[in-house]
Amino acid sequence: MSTRAYAVTRAGRRAAVPASLVVLFLLPLILMPLAAVFLFAFRGGPLAFWNGLKTPEAQFALRFSLLVAFATAAVNTVLGTFTAYVLSRYRFRGQRILGIVVNLPVAIPTVVVGTSLLLLWGPIGLLGRALGPLGLQPMFAPAGVLLAHLFVTFPYMLGAVKPVMDEMEETYEEAAYTIGATTWQTFRYVILPTLKGGLFAGALLTFAHSLGEFGATVMVSGNLRLKTQTAPLYIFAQFEAGNIEAANAVAAVLALLSFFIFFVLLRYTGREGD
Amino acid sequence: MSVTLENVTKHYGGGQVVVDRVSLDVQTGELFVLLGASGSGKSTILRMLAGLTAPDEGVIRFADRDVTLVPPQKRDVGLVFQNYSIFRHMTVGENIEFGLRIRGVPAVEREQRREELLELVGLGGLAARYDSQLSGGQRQRVALARALAYKPAVLLLDEPFGALDVKIRTQLRQNLKEIHKTLGVTTVLVTHDQEEAFELGQRIAVMERGRLLEVNTPEKLYAQPRSLFVATFLGGGTILVGRCQDHKVALGGLSLPIPAEVPHDEGDRVRVLIRPEQVRLTAERPRPGAPVLGQGEVVEQNFSGATRRTRVRLPPLAGVRQVVPPLPFGEENPILDAVVPAHDPPTPPAPWVTLEAWHILRQPTPRLLVCDEGEGIAPALELAKPLVDALDAIATVLGVSPDARRQDALREALTERAAAAGLAQPAIRVRRGDLAEQIALEEREAPYDFVIVGAGDSDPRPALRHTNLYEELLPRIKTPLLLVRGRPRRFERILICTAVGEPGKADIRAGGWLARRLNATVTLLHVTISGRTMPALVHAHLTRGVATLRELEVKGRPSLREAATPLEGILAELRSEPYDLVVTGAPPPLARTPIRSVSITQAIVRRAGCSILVVPAGTW
Repeated sequence: MSTRAYAVTRAGRRAAVPASLVVLFLLPLILMPLAAVFLFAFRGGPLAFWNGLKTPEAQFALRFSLLVAFATAAVNTVLGTFTAYVLSRYRFRGQRILGIVVNLPVAIPTVVVGTSLLLLWGPIGLLGRALGPLGLQPMFAPAGVLLAHLFVTFPYMLGAVKPVMDEMEETYEEAAYTIGATTWQTFRYVILPTLKGGLFAGALLTFAHSLGEFGATVMVSGNLRLKTQTAPLYIFAQFEAGNIEAANAVAAVLALLSFFIFFVLLRYTGREGD
Repeated sequence: MSVTLENVTKHYGGGQVVVDRVSLDVQTGELFVLLGASGSGKSTILRMLAGLTAPDEGVIRFADRDVTLVPPQKRDVGLVFQNYSIFRHMTVGENIEFGLRIRGVPAVEREQRREELLELVGLGGLAARYDSQLSGGQRQRVALARALAYKPAVLLLDEPFGALDVKIRTQLRQNLKEIHKTLGVTTVLVTHDQEEAFELGQRIAVMERGRLLEVNTPEKLYAQPRSLFVATFLGGGTILVGRCQDHKVALGGLSLPIPAEVPHDEGDRVRVLIRPEQVRLTAERPRPGAPVLGQGEVVEQNFSGATRRTRVRLPPLAGVRQVVPPLPFGEENPILDAVVPAHDPPTPPAPWVTLEAWHILRQPTPRLLVCDEGEGIAPALELAKPLVDALDAIATVLGVSPDARRQDALREALTERAAAAGLAQPAIRVRRGDLAEQIALEEREAPYDFVIVGAGDSDPRPALRHTNLYEELLPRIKTPLLLVRGRPRRFERILICTAVGEPGKADIRAGGWLARRLNATVTLLHVTISGRTMPALVHAHLTRGVATLRELEVKGRPSLREAATPLEGILAELRSEPYDLVVTGAPPPLARTPIRSVSITQAIVRRAGCSILVVPAGTW
C-alpha cells in the first residue's frame, strides 16, 4: 500500500518539471499571441470593437468566409467520402498512386496551389483562355475562392473518414444484404451511421481550415473588397493600411469561431472514444 | 427448405479452383456440416449459398427454386459470420430488429419478436447493450438472433464458434443444437473442427482442396470412411497397407477378408484402418484363430483422463507398409496407436496385439495429372483418354500460363482440347508462373498417381538444345512421371529396366500395375557390365522381379544383356524389339551434384525413341 502511494507522489513530482517546461515554451509560441489578439481587440473598449466589426467590408468578409467554409465543407464531405469509399473498398491498378495524389494538397504550399489554379483557370490560363470568350471567369470571383478551398482542404475529409471505412469489415455490409437490406438501405442504416463520427469530424476540420485559408485565397481572389475578400484577407488588408483595431476585431471573431469548432470537435471525439 | 448444389464450381482470380464441381443435397430441417481445413472451399460454398459470391458453373436450388443468381436480399437466408459483424451503432435490440424493420414489420410486433429471440438465445434483458459491451459468446448469440429474426428458410453459420474459448464453445454448441431442435430450420454450418462437426452435424460433408470427398452421418464417416483423407482427418488410428491375395489382405501372418463392397484386385494395395479403440493389448497370448498382429512392445504411454493412449511397436510384418501415423526416421516396424480405459490394469511392456475390429478403405481411384500447353499437338491429352478408360482413373488437366492476362484464354483452350481428346468433364487447373515449377507445385499439393507430360522427340544431341521441360521436372517430382513421346494410342509392350542393388522395387510395381490394367506384356531387363556383376546376384534379382510381377498377375519375361554401359544395354534392347514404353527408376536425389552430370535416367530420356515412365523410389 505504502509503496504504491510513494510511486504516485514520485510520478507526480517527476512530471512537474517537464510539464512546466512545456508550458514555458508554449507561452511565447501559442498562448501569449492568442491572448494578444483579444487584448488588442478590446483595448479601445467594446464600442471600438463593435465599430471595427460594423463596417460593410468587415461584415461582408466575415459572411463571405462563413459561406465559403460551409460550401467547402458540404462539397468535400460528399467528394471525400466517395473517394474514401473507393480507396477503401476496391482494389485497382494505380490505387497507391491515387492514394498519394489525394493527400498531396497537405504537402503543397498554399501559395503554389493558388498559382497553379491561376495558371489553369486564369484569363491567360490553359483552360481559362477558352472560357473567357464564353463569359466565364472563375478566377478573381467567388467560384475561384471555392475552388481553391476545395483543393486545399480535400485531404481532411478523407483523413477522417477513410480510417473508419478501413476498420469496417466488408462482412458488415454483407450482413446487411443477407438480412434483406437493399444497397441504399445498407448505406442509409448501416454504413452512414457508422461513419457519422468521421463525417462530423472531417466536416468540422474542413470548415475550420477553410475559414482560415490565406495563401491560395490571396492568389485567386484578387482580394477584391466586397466581392472576393475573405476574413483573413480583410485582416491582412486592414493591417497593411494601419487600421489595427479593425483588423483585430475580425481576428478576434475568427479566433472565437475556431475555438468553438475546436471544442466541439474535442468533446465529440472524446465521446466517441468512450 | 431443402438446399441443393449441382456441379457448383468457383475459380478465384489467378485461375485457382476454390470449389470444384461440388454437388450435395441438404434435407429440409437438417443440421448439415461442411467440414474441411482452411482453404478447402467450405466457406466459399456458404457464401455462394448466401448469394454473396456467384458460382462460375453449376446450379444452386432452394427447394425447387433456382437461386443461383438471386441476390442475397431475395434469398431468405440468415447468415452468421465468424466475426459476427454486429452493427456497432445499434443496440442489441436494434440489431435483432433490423431485418424486421427493413421488412416494414410494425413496432409492436418487432418488440415481441425481439423479446422472444433474446429469450431463445439466452440474452434476456440485454436489449439495450451495444456491441462493445458484450463478450464474444454474447456477440455470437446476438448474431444468431439477428439472423433468425425474420424466420429465414435457411440458416448459414460460418465457423460460428471459431473465435471463442473452449468452455463457451461447448456451451454454445449445446444451445445451437437446442435452438435447431426448437425451430427446425434447415441449417448449414461450416467448421474446421472435427469435434464440432461430430457433435452438431446430422450429416457431415468433408471437403478437401475444393472437392467434396464424402457425405455421411458422423458415425458412418468415422467407422467406414471411404478415403484416406477422411479416415485420417476424422479421428486417429493407424493405417497399414498390405497386398490383396486371394480376396484377403495379408498383414504379416494375419489374413483379413476383404468385403465385397470394397473390391480389390489380386496384388492391389489394400489400406486397413485400425482405430485406437479397436486394438486390444493383453498379457496372455490370445486364443488361436483370433486376429492377432503379434507380440509388440510399448513405446509410449500417455494418460489423458478417462483413457490411456498407448503406442505399440509391432513385430516386423512382411510386405506391410505403414501410412499413418508416419513412422519416425529409422523405424522399420509398424507402430500402432491404441487407447484403453484409464482404469484398466496397466499395459504389460510386451503386450499381445489383437484387433477387435478394422475397416478396409476403398481402392483409391487413380488420379492422373495431364499437363497441356493449350496449343500445338497434345500428346499428353491424347494419351489421357485411353489411360482414363483402362485405369478407371480421374484426369486433371493442368495448364501453366506465364502471365495473368492469358489465363482465361488458356482455360478455355484446355477445356476445348480436353473435350476434343474425348475426356468427359475433366477438372481443369490453370496456374501461373514457371512451367516446371508449377507442375511440381501442383503435384505436391494434390495426390496424383501419374503426371503425364508431352516430351517432344528424342534428341541425341542434347547440348545443342536449351534445357527440356522434363529435365527440369525430373529432379523435382515425387510422383511417377510419364513422358509421352510421339502419339501413342496404347502401350502393348513395356520394358522395365532394373539394376541390382536398386532400393525398393517401385519401378517394377508401377510398371507391372500399369501393364496389368493395360493388358500389356512386360520385359524385365537387366544389363550386366562386361565382367563386373556376379551372375548369381543378377539371377536372384531378376527372379525376385518376375515374382513381383507375378504377384500383380502380370507375366514378365526376364532379359539379360551384356554391354559396356547400362545405357548402351538399354538402347540395344530398345532396338531389338518395338517397345511402346520404358519404365525406369528416377535418379536418386543424392546423385544430384552441383555439376550437371547426366544421370542414366536423363540419358535414357534423351535417347529413347518411345515414351518413358520415370518412377521415383519409394512411391509405389
